[in-house]
Amino acid sequence: MIAQTLDVFQVVADPSRRQMMQMLSKESMTINALAENFDMSRPAVSKHIKIMYTAGFISITDIGRERHCTLKQDGFNELQEFINYFDKFWDSKLNKLETLLNNKAKKK
Amino acid sequence: MQKEIKKTKHFSQSPEEVWEYLTQPALIEQWLMKNDFQPVVGHKFQFTCSDTAYCEVLEVEPCTRLSYSWQKNSAKSGQSMNSIVVWTLIRKENGTELQLVHNGFTALEDLLAHENGWNTCFAKLEEQISTVKK
Repeated sequence: MIAQTLDVFQVVADPSRRQMMQMLSKESMTINALAENFDMSRPAVSKHIKIMYTAGFISITDIGRERHCTLKQDGFNELQEFINYFDKFWDSKLNKLETLLNNKAKKK
Repeated sequence: MQKEIKKTKHFSQSPEEVWEYLTQPALIEQWLMKNDFQPVVGHKFQFTCSDTAYCEVLEVEPCTRLSYSWQKNSAKSGQSMNSIVVWTLIRKENGTELQLVHNGFTALEDLLAHENGWNTCFAKLEEQISTVKK
């Protein structure tokens, strides 16, 4: 199997995975129950599950013979961190611009 | 969950003067990053630093509006982190109001477009977390 080292944005870029996460946002589901909602092979579903699991979007618990998927915070935190990074980035850059323009005004 | 960044700044300079700082490579570099920007729609350019951004000019309305796409690590991860930066300049009596909106984060916005589903989802997550904390 191909090693999956997708970043969080690549993980959520796939419509099927987003749909799976939406379903999981309502309730935990077994992989089988999830798979029933998708017109794709079971291995294909498993591959998506693995990708979401690796990126921290879901956790998997074995209960009896079933594997239960539950939504997890980590992946979402990483998305949020990305936005936070830019938020701080622009604050600092705009402050620099402000300083520049203020100094320029003083020189006149 | 926050899905876009909005900033507003007031400057005593005219929009014309502020515009120069948004569109002249040497002036941009003084406060933002090294770049090969040109105020021409369709021009592809880069903001160069340890984490280079690959950009393309989308809109140029002199002294009023400027926007470009902003893509990180395009070589490595394809379109995974595409986004859009929009600058709006509004003439005021005592200078210029400069607005910045950074949004259109691929996937993220799409993902959060289903507000209801996701609000429920995040409410649930918050609930879970606060329960754990207790």
